[in-house]
Order: sequence, then C-alpha cells, then structure tokens
Amino acid sequence: MSETLNTQKPRIDGALKLSGGADYTADINLDGQLYGYPVGSAIASGELEGLELEEALGMPGVVDIFHHDNFDRTLKHSPNSFAEKNTVSEPRLPFEDTTIHYHGQYIALVVADTFEHARAAAQKVKGKYRANDQVISQFDELDADNVAGLPGVLQEGDGQSRGEADTAFDAAEVTLDHHYSIATETHAAMELHASTATWSGDHLTVYESTQGVVFQRHALSHVFSMPPEQINVISHFIGSGFGGKLFMWPHAIMTAVASRRLKRPVKTVVPRQSVFTSAGSRPRSIQRVRLGARADGTLTSIRHDGSNETAFVGMHNDTVISATPSMYACENVSVTNRVGEVNHGMPCPMRAPGEAPGLFALETAMDELAWQLEMDPVELRKKNFAERDPASDLPWSSNHLIECWDNAAKRFGWENRTAEIGAMREGDEIIGYGMASQSWEAMRLQCSARVTFLSDGRLQVSCGTQDIGTGTYTIVAQTASELSGVPIEDIDVRLGDSSLPSGPLSGGSFATATVLPAVKAALDAATQALIDKVTQDGQAFSDVDSGSIELSDRALTYGDRSIPVTTLLEELGIGQVTAEASAEPGDEQSEYSFRSFGAVFVEVRWDPGISRLKVERIVSTIDIGRAINPMTARNQVEGGLVMGLGMALFEQTEYDKSGYLYNANLADYIVPVHADIPPIDVELLDYPDYHLNAFGARGVGEIGLTGIAAAISNAVYHATGKRIRDLPISIERLLMAN
Amino acid sequence: MADATLDATVGHVDPDDTSSLQTIELTVNGQTHTLTLEPNVVLLDALRERLNLTGAKKGCDHGQCGACTVVIDGRAMNSCLLLAALAEGQDITTIEGLADEDGTLHPIQQAFLEHDAYQCGYCTAGQMMMATSILNDKDIAKDPASIKEAMSGNICRCGAYKNILDAVQSAHRTIEGA
Amino acid sequence: MQSFELIRPESVKDAIGAQSERSAFIGGGTTLVDLMKLGVMQPDHVVDTNRLGLDEIEALDDGRLKIGARVSNSRLAIDARVERDYPVLSQALLSGASTGLRNMATTAGNVMQRTRCPYFRDPAKPCNKREPGTGCSAMDGINRNHAVLGTSEHCIATHPSDMCVAMAAIGATVVVEGRKGTREIPFEDFHLLPGDHPEREHDLRSDELITHVVLDAPLEGAVSTYLKLRDRASYEFALASCAAIVTLEGTKVTAARIALGGVATKPWRAVDAEAALVGEEATAKMFEQVALLAFQRAMPLEHNAFKVELGQQAIARALRDAVQQASQGEHQ
Repeated sequence: MSETLNTQKPRIDGALKLSGGADYTADINLDGQLYGYPVGSAIASGELEGLELEEALGMPGVVDIFHHDNFDRTLKHSPNSFAEKNTVSEPRLPFEDTTIHYHGQYIALVVADTFEHARAAAQKVKGKYRANDQVISQFDELDADNVAGLPGVLQEGDGQSRGEADTAFDAAEVTLDHHYSIATETHAAMELHASTATWSGDHLTVYESTQGVVFQRHALSHVFSMPPEQINVISHFIGSGFGGKLFMWPHAIMTAVASRRLKRPVKTVVPRQSVFTSAGSRPRSIQRVRLGARADGTLTSIRHDGSNETAFVGMHNDTVISATPSMYACENVSVTNRVGEVNHGMPCPMRAPGEAPGLFALETAMDELAWQLEMDPVELRKKNFAERDPASDLPWSSNHLIECWDNAAKRFGWENRTAEIGAMREGDEIIGYGMASQSWEAMRLQCSARVTFLSDGRLQVSCGTQDIGTGTYTIVAQTASELSGVPIEDIDVRLGDSSLPSGPLSGGSFATATVLPAVKAALDAATQALIDKVTQDGQAFSDVDSGSIELSDRALTYGDRSIPVTTLLEELGIGQVTAEASAEPGDEQSEYSFRSFGAVFVEVRWDPGISRLKVERIVSTIDIGRAINPMTARNQVEGGLVMGLGMALFEQTEYDKSGYLYNANLADYIVPVHADIPPIDVELLDYPDYHLNAFGARGVGEIGLTGIAAAISNAVYHATGKRIRDLPISIERLLMAN
Repeated sequence: MADATLDATVGHVDPDDTSSLQTIELTVNGQTHTLTLEPNVVLLDALRERLNLTGAKKGCDHGQCGACTVVIDGRAMNSCLLLAALAEGQDITTIEGLADEDGTLHPIQQAFLEHDAYQCGYCTAGQMMMATSILNDKDIAKDPASIKEAMSGNICRCGAYKNILDAVQSAHRTIEGA
Repeated sequence: MQSFELIRPESVKDAIGAQSERSAFIGGGTTLVDLMKLGVMQPDHVVDTNRLGLDEIEALDDGRLKIGARVSNSRLAIDARVERDYPVLSQALLSGASTGLRNMATTAGNVMQRTRCPYFRDPAKPCNKREPGTGCSAMDGINRNHAVLGTSEHCIATHPSDMCVAMAAIGATVVVEGRKGTREIPFEDFHLLPGDHPEREHDLRSDELITHVVLDAPLEGAVSTYLKLRDRASYEFALASCAAIVTLEGTKVTAARIALGGVATKPWRAVDAEAALVGEEATAKMFEQVALLAFQRAMPLEHNAFKVELGQQAIARALRDAVQQASQGEHQ
C-alpha cells in the first residue's frame, strides 16, 4: 500500500464544493414545499400558559402553527440508546408538555408558503408565561457539599481509581490543588441545522444536516412508531457539526409532523439564535486537580474531580476526566465526575468531549507543578511517560508521544525559552512559551459497506456514514482505488443516506478506522462474487483454483492470464456485480490500548500597556497512526488548533441570571477569524497502527483540540505571571488577575 | 410581553393586501431573471429560494459570518443584508458564475482545491467570493496580514484559515503572473 | 421581518416627502435590515436613498471635506484626501465591521448605526431604548459590552461606531434636510445621551434626511492614531477604542482631541483629558495621567468595570503612538 494511501489527494468532492453544486440540506428545494420557522420561549423556567396565535394565523401565507395544544399525541420517545443507534440529543418531544426548562425551548412552529411569511408570522407569536422565581442559570462550586468541593451528582460509572491517591497526596513532597473551569461553548458550525421532511404514503424522507443518518432513522422510527425501512434520512453534505449534529434535535420531529399533517414537504432552517439556544453546547465544567510528586518530578498522586452542567431536559455527562487515568505513569490515581442540572438547553458532545476540557485542567496543572519543581515542563512529562496504558495495564498499540514532545520542541525552538516569567521581550510585547500534551482515545466500531463493479469500469462504494468535512468521501475513494486498481476518478462514493449499509456516526474520530475495513471487506466480497462467476463452467477461469485469482489493475488475474472486469461483466451479460459486507473490531480490543498522542507548543505575545494578548505561533506534532490523506488530516489538526485558540481566549456561551442566553449569535459569541490565526506548523508522524486495523489509521478529528488551551494558558503564565485557570482567558481576567 | 411598537404595527397590516408585491429584474452571472416578490425578501433568499442558486449560504442571516458573500458590481457584499429589490440593475456574481462556461475553474477555485482550503465547504463560496473581490481591489495589500484582515468577515468554523490564506496568495500569484 | 412598502424616490425632496413617523430610510441596509429581521425595527415604509446621488466627496474652499451621505465606508476609508488629512478616520473605518459590510455601509448609515446591546436586539426583552418604560435588562443582566460613560439609570447601551469616534475627534457637522429646509448640526450635538429618554438617539426630526457630513479642516501639523481594543483581532465591536489627534511644538502639546468608543453611550469626547494635556510635555506619564481624567465620572457595573482601565490604556497608548509619529517625522 503506498500509491494512493498516505498521499495528498485533493478532495473528490472538491469540484462540487467549489462550484456551489454540493447539496447541503437547506439547498434542497422540493416542489410544493412549505417553510417552517420555530418560536422559542422568552423565559428559562416556568410554565407556558398559552400562546397568542390569532394575529399570526391571519398573516399572509401562513398555513398552520404547531404547538402543544395541537401537536401529535401519538409520538413516542426514542429509547435513546447508543447501542441500538437511536440516541437523540434532547429526549423530550417537542411541545410534549407546557413546562419551560430553558430559554429558547420551542413553543411553536409556524408553517407558511414562503420563508419570509413564516418568519414574519413567527415574530407575532407570543407566549404567555408563568415564570418561576428560581432559575438555575449556572451551578456553582459554592453549592458543593462533597469531598471534591464540586457541585452535581456523582456519576458512579466514571469513577476510576488505582492505588491510594489520597494517602499518596498527603505524603507527597510537593503538592498542588487547584480548581479550573471552562465556560459553556457552542459548536457554531457554519451550516445552520436544517430539516426537510416529505411523506410519500407511509414513507418518510428527511433531508437533515446530521452527523448520523442511521441514528436519526432509528430515532425517527421510534418517535413515529414506524419500521426503519419506511424512513430514509439523507445528508449528502454537512456544513460540519463538531458533535452538535450527532443526534436528532426536536426541530426534525416538528418538521416531520408538520409535513405529515399538511401533506406537503416542509423545510425548516433553524435560525442561528435557536441553534445557540436549542441545538447543543459543550457544557460548562468545573474541575479540581490535585497532584502529588516527589522532588524529582515523579508523580505519586493524581486526583482529578470534574463536574459539568446538564439540562433539566436530559442527562449529558461530559466525562472531563476521561483521559486522565491514561496520561501519566502514576501508581495512585483517582478520578470522579459529577453532573448537575441547570436551566439551559441540552448540552451534547462537542469536538474532543472530555479530553478538551479535561486536558486543559490536567495539562495546566502539570505546568504549575513544573514551575513549583523548577523543572522544564517537557522534562516533567517525560519523567512520567507511561510505557503502557496505566489505566488498563494493557500495552499501547502504538505510542510515539516522546517523539511528539521532542520533535515539536525542536521545531518550536523550545531551547530558547528562559525559565523566568516575563523575561523575553520585544518592543511593547512580552513573549511567553507554553506547551502541553495532546491525546484522544482511538476507537473502532462495527460497520457495513457495499461495493459494486459497474459495466463501464467504474466502481461504486456505498456506506451509510457521512462526510462532515473531514474528507471521508476522498479517503474511501483512495482506499477503494488502492485495493482495486481502479483510478480514483473512476470511483463513485455514496454516503449520507440511511438506506445504504449501516455506517458509523461522523464523530469521535472513529469514522476512518471504522469505515475503511468495511470498504475492504465489501470489495473483497464483490471480488469474490466476480471470481465465483468467472470460475463457473464455461467461463474464462473455470479451470483454475479460485483461491489463486486476484484483482489487480481492474482485472482478474491468474498467473499471466488476465480478464478485465468490464469484459467479464459484458461476457456474462450482467450490468454489475455487487456485494455488501461488514467489519468489526476483534480480540485486539482486549489486547491493546489505543490512543492517539501529540504535543503542542505555543508562543503568545502580551502587550500589558493595552492588555492585548495574541497567539504568535503554534507548533504541533501528532501521532495518529497512518494518515490516509495527509492533506485532509493535517487540515483537521489545524482546525482543531484554531478551535482550541477560540476555546482558550474567546469562547463562552453566556447566560444571565434569568437564564437568558445573551450572546446567541455569531457577533457576540466570539470565534476566531482570519486575523487571529498565527502561523501553524503541524507535523504528522507516520507510524501505522496495524493493531487497530489493516490501514494503520487511528482517526484525526478531535486530537488537535486537546491540550492547546492548556498550552496557551501556560504560555500566558510564562509571559505574564498570571495563572488563569478559567476559560476563556478574557481581557478582563488578564486585567484583574494579580 | 406587551410591545408598544409591535402593537402599533397591527393596524397597518392587511393580510389580503398584495399590493406590496413588486416585479424586479436581477442580473445574476450575466443572466437576467424577472422576479415578483415582496420587498422584505433579501438577495440571499431570492437567490436560494427563488432562483435555486444555492451556492451562497446562510450562516447567520445577520451579516455576522460572511457565508452569503456575493460580488455586486465588483465588490463583495453580504447578500443576507441586502434587500433583493435594491440589487436591481446591478451586476451580481455568485459562486455559480465564477468558473468559465467551459467549466475551467477560476484561479481562486483551483487554488482552493489544491490547497485544501476548506473542510465542510459551507463557508467556501463566501470565502472565494470575498477573495476574488479582494484580489481585484488595488487598495487592499496582498501581504498575509492584509489578506487576513480583509478576509476576517468570513468565518470558517472548521478553522481551515491557514489553507485559505495559502490559496488566496497562490491565486494572487497566478493572476499576477497571467 | 414584517412586510413593508419600498419607496424608491429619485430626489432628496421626494425622499423627504415620503418620510413619516412609521418609515425608515435605507442606505446600505446593514443596520436596518438586520434590525428588521429581528423585529426591532418595523417600519411600514422603507425609503430608499440609493437613487439620490449624495455619493461625492468634495473639498470645500474653507479646508473642510464634505462627504455625501451615501459614500460607502470602504470608499471613504481609501479616499486620498481622507488618507492624507484624516488618517484617523481611515483607520477607524477600516477597523470596523468587515470588508463586505464596509462595501455596503454608508456614511449616513454609520452615523445612524444603533447599539449592539443584545437586550435591545431582542424584542422579547425589556428595553427602555426600544420600548420606553419597560426597564433596562442590561443593568442587572450581562453588561460586559456596555458603557461606563454617559450612562443613565435607564440605559447603558454602547454606541457601536468606530467612524463616529474618529469624526468626534476630528470635529464635524451633520447636514440634514427636511421639509423646513436644511440644518447643520454640530457632530457633538447630533448623538444624544440616553438620560431619561434613551429612545431618542439623535437630533434628527422624523422628516429629516442626512445629506452630508462635513469634516472640520484638519489641524495643521497634527499627528493621530485610532486604536481599537477588542477580544479577537478583527470583525468585532470595540471594548474600548480611542481616536487621538495631537499637535506639538517641540515636546509640548499644543492641541489635543481625544475621542472614545466602546465605553460610552455616544461617540465620546474626553474633553477633560484634552484640556489637561494641552501645554504639557508629551510624555508617557502625562498620557497616563490625562487618561485617568477621562474616566473620572465612569459608572462601571458588574461586568464592565475592566473598561475603565482598558479605556485608559487605549488613551495612553493612542497618544503615545500618535506622538511617536511626530518624532519620526510622519506628520503632514
């Protein structure tokens, strides 16, 4: 394997994306479609006592308004099971009852003949509320009544411990005990959530911006009590999701109900404000990290206790402690996580859930420990390198973290760092260097795929997964091309359709490791089907041992005999040969521990005269096994680093004391723009992880976002002497900190 | 909540009044389209929902993201904040009109392809339309800092900014060299 | 966005004739269309100004510069006379919004820009500016972006414009035309403090249209800087900004104009700071001292207290940067 895999290939869907031809959900206009426009609650907690609808119903073009009093009572909750692939984001059905749990909770859906009419009428729908006096706009560590000093209910399943972390902490030569927090963040994918539903008899087709067509199909099948086969969910192109589009949201149910009742297609493009209030967030979390070490830097105790907010409408455990037990060789470790309810919209996974907030806390704490020990932060980490996974006590499938630290440090010029605060200056600016480790669990799941040899020589590969911008279309084509000898431009890849063989969610960095083995299995099966035909009596290879026939360069070959696949199909008089197959992980899962690793180094510039902080450059070396397409893989890491820059410096979804989501728009929710972006140098190591799959690929979507916030906060400390343990590191925090 | 301003509007709205419909001509990518629509239709929605030119995208609907950027009389503008009727008589270029008629990609499209200057592709049309406008603007310098500043109204949440910058600089060299 | 009638007059006179209590002029639309979509502004008639001309930039004999209402922010920023005589205005314009929005936004529209207070921008929330007497949600809500200068108990909304801050420092006249004829309004009197009537934002009668903004003649030998401080590096409203214009004789300040953005309810002239600076040595220490004066009467709230110090930093640095140009011989 080398010609097509692990080489930089322009995206096969590039021409469509660059011409405006890619059909994102909201781009699909169906004949006779109506437009849905949601109305959100003005309050965050209370009862909806009624709606003023009369004026809106009388407005031009308004067809109907859906709300609690007229909503479909036959709907059922999805079981919300990941194993059964029917997880939903918000378990509550839309308009199910009249209790208001969060600002922006849908109270009505206006349906009209045009978008403008729907929006105008939606502005005239007013809720009548009985507001609760008590709104829990955020939980607070002051409320805590437990040993960790954190709010929320302990999640027993997350607890992990080894050794005696408490005793070892008390006995440690050097200790550290700090609280860290991150603000609520919003995915803010550029594409608005959107759903178009259309019914044909008892069949439902939903065009949805989703990271999981299969999950949404199953969830809808439970909600509407229909067999999954009568539902199809289509998502050919997704304007990314970052976790916010993994699982179905209520707008999709509202839209499908409206379409069924009105007997016309209904298209709902969720307005940006509602995307903020009602389509997910990374919840705010508070973390306490306690480290104990010997004077030489050897960690003797790690205690990491986390707590994240969730909504009253559903449980989301953000597992901020997930990476901690595996990060460093330490005999005494204990981690816990808590979850507490607040009057916010439902949180959900957001890119690198768990690891991104968790490693901010742990890797900042490691930096603090290094300063306490007067030790180089890289050396401290090397001192505690874990030769095998200390959490599972399994060997790593592949781990090149030391090379990540060394390479990134070298490329960055870490040796120029002075181990003194504020000592490096240039003009008005003080220079700070910081670093952190990066890590993300490498997963692989079950997957099916279909491969079809077509009579014109093309190869079609189908899988019910999606390409959310990570490059799945392209790497599937690369893989099929590599294995079949069919040139990449002659390969058709079909994704984003729940009627295709069941594929994984596009999330968790597991799609690549999961899908490619299924593509190989399906190609092998389709090839075998060809072989079975060509070895039948009277056929070209009827005289040979079928086990010795190979597919190579678009032909079946046996020794020096060869028959092109197209010729074969023509001679057989059949248009195509197709096969479907599945692949799933095996015993290796209990034999090895699979993680990706990386190291990130950051230079910041701090101008104290005007309280201006900027990231000057970022260097990262990443160990993700093999990159199938280094160009798209590097892009993923860079994108993660950019999002991490936002997480560190800007991003916070703000709720005021009344639970009102104050900055539900892209002007007030600050994300990085072009001008914020420093030179970024990403190196991808190439150590294929063949324990995980035959392609050596571990996936790359999340890891760039891990560690970067800590690297920035550590650089800020080096420059300013201000240790900001709460994200974002805002101007006021820098100004007010001592 | 009572809203004096909103309530005052009520008497002025006649649901059966269709007199506000107006017929306009929009010239998009060299083609003239006749549309009958109400004045509160913005150009973005007219392109997407009426003309089925869905390359320009809605990311915020309030001039806060740049995904809807189109070029009007040579200048990049946020089509979500432009009433369609006010674009009458102007030369509107969308992403669908960027490539040559024979399909040859515009240098900016070619550069985006080669530099992988996108991920999900949703902001991409806006990025490229803004880039073409900037590259044609002699008053905007073409050093990295100036390009980044000029492009800052086009948010890419995937964070493909580095590759976008590379692509814009590369297209600039191509165009200058041509 | 509710429905409305679009009127497209061909003359200023017709435009004024079409204007009423329930109408709004549209230029670039970057404020109006935005607020109409939110339901914050709901005019019955929208009167288009794009066929009225008013798109010239004209040097007057008395040294002033007359800018047509419809001149776009982009064009104004790169006008050779502006770049030469009023670089602070060019810098301010280019620090605002984005390339696309500046291509649309007009000079008059920018003068008429409305606050970005999220409570103002949501018709579901109480807001004295949008709906007099309903209360101020920001006072006890999130007020990080809000003003510390010029506030009242009824409103703390920040004026968002960068352009206006530069114009306040330069000195200008807003020329308006109404049914009763033409009026010239000094720039500092055009925008109103919220006081007891935050809904009144400017000294413009309902039938009046801004036709021009005339910049005062540039100060001889002045140096200037516009400095904008914010979270991200671009495409964000100011948390604090300062337009500083200074003339020097040797190392002494002979004239100073200091205007602030992001911290006040209107484009804010720091007159106390200006007065204290004139006649003094142009030193960093002096800049820091006068910067304190500018915020003597600041009324910080729960989340915006940092703006006092940030605003002072903006003044001190803007003055220093301007004066450094003088020492480097960059003044005209």
